[in-house]
Amino acid sequence: MCASCGFPAAPGHWTEAGAAEPHDRLRSRFRRSEVLRAVLPSYGLSAHDGGVVPGIQLSSLTGGETIVRNLEDLWVAAERMCGRPVDPLDPRFTGSA
Amino acid sequence: MGGSAEGRIRLTILGGFLGSGKTTWLRHQLHTGAYAHSVIMVNEAAETPVDDALLGRSERLVVLAGGCCCCTGRDRLVEELRRLCDERSRDGAAAARFDGIVLETSGLADPAAIVEAIRSDPVLIHHIVVAEIVVTVDALHGLAELRGEPLGRRQIEAATRLVVTKTDAAEPAGIARLLATLKTLNPSAPIEATARGSEIALPDLPPVEAEDLPDLAGAPSAPIFPIRIELGGDVDWTAFTVWLSALLHARGDDVMRAKGVVRTPAGRLLLQSVRKVVQRPEILPPQEDREDDTIVLIGRGYTEEQIRASLDYFVRAGRR
Repeated sequence: MCASCGFPAAPGHWTEAGAAEPHDRLRSRFRRSEVLRAVLPSYGLSAHDGGVVPGIQLSSLTGGETIVRNLEDLWVAAERMCGRPVDPLDPRFTGSA
Repeated sequence: MGGSAEGRIRLTILGGFLGSGKTTWLRHQLHTGAYAHSVIMVNEAAETPVDDALLGRSERLVVLAGGCCCCTGRDRLVEELRRLCDERSRDGAAAARFDGIVLETSGLADPAAIVEAIRSDPVLIHHIVVAEIVVTVDALHGLAELRGEPLGRRQIEAATRLVVTKTDAAEPAGIARLLATLKTLNPSAPIEATARGSEIALPDLPPVEAEDLPDLAGAPSAPIFPIRIELGGDVDWTAFTVWLSALLHARGDDVMRAKGVVRTPAGRLLLQSVRKVVQRPEILPPQEDREDDTIVLIGRGYTEEQIRASLDYFVRAGRR
C-alpha cells in the first residue's frame, strides 16, 4: 500500500474537515446545529450540540434519545428512530409536488 | 524511441466506472516512474476538471474537460491526438518529446468506442497503436455496477488488463465473487489487485462462483449526468456537508460520484465520494490559478432543479 504518492488527509470525519482551529470548529458545530434544526423537526426529530462535549444528541418526539459521533452516524440513527431516511430530495425540501 | 511500435505512438487507455480508482492508480504509476515520458491526457465528463490537480508528477498533461471522449467529446479527442501525431511527425520519433500517450477516460466512457474512434480515423490509424486498455474495478462497488450498469460490463469486456482497486477495504468473500465474475466477463485479461494505487497480493480467497448477472438488454436506464455546485458565496461548507451527508445516506445509489476542491479555513480540501463512501479529504497544496470551490455530482434518478432547491433549503437554514 502506497501512502507517499497522495497528499495528507484531513483528520477526523470528512464533514468536519473544513475547520482546523478551535474557534472555527466551534463555529462550524453551531452552524451545523442551525441547519439540523431546520431539517429534522418535520421528521419528528431534534438535535442538540452544546459545543462542550463531543457528539450530537439526537432525540425523537416519542422519547427516543441517542448521542452520535458525527453526521454520518446521525443519518443512520435518524432513519432508525423514524423508520425512514431523511431525504433531502423529499418535496418538503425541494418545494416540488 | 523505444515506446513506439513500428513507428506508431503507443496509447494506453485507462478506463473504469465512476470512482473506480483510475486517477489513484495512475498517480501511483507516475510516482513509481512509469509513463515518465508519456503525455497524460485526462478526460472528464464535467466542465470542471479535478483529476489533473492530482497528476502533478506527469511531465506533460492535457485536460479534455466538458464531454466524455467516447461520445460528446470524441471530436476533441481525435483533434488532440492528431495534434500529438503531427508534433511527433514534425520532430521525428527520435527527437520527440514524448514516447507514448496515456488517456485517462471519464468514468462514463466505453473504451471500445475510443478504440473505434481511433481505428476509423484516417490519420490516427496510421500513427497510433492501442498498446493496452487498463480498466479499474472498485472492489466495494464493482459487483453492484456490473449487476445494473450495461456500461460497467462493456468497460470490463474491453479491457486487456483489469485492476481491482480498494481491496484493502473489501471483504475477501466479496472480492472472490467479483474476481470470479470478472473472469466470466473477460477471461483473457489478467487481473491485478491494488490498494491505494499500489499492487498487493490478495489473501487466500474462499472458493465462490461467479455472479449470475441479470440480462440488461432493453432495460430502461436513465442517463447519468453531472451537476456543478458552486461553494463559497451563499453556500457554506458546513451546511453543504449536512446536506451532502444526508443526500448520500438517502440516495447514495443514485449519487454515484461527488468530487471537487473546496477552499476552507483548514486548507484546500479534495472531496471525493463513491456512492455512500466518502474518502477523508486530502489537503492539497495552495495553488493560486485554480478554479476551486466547485463540487461536481454525477448520478441519476433526480433532476438538477431538485438538487439545487434542496441544497438551497439547507443553506438558508437560520438565515430565513
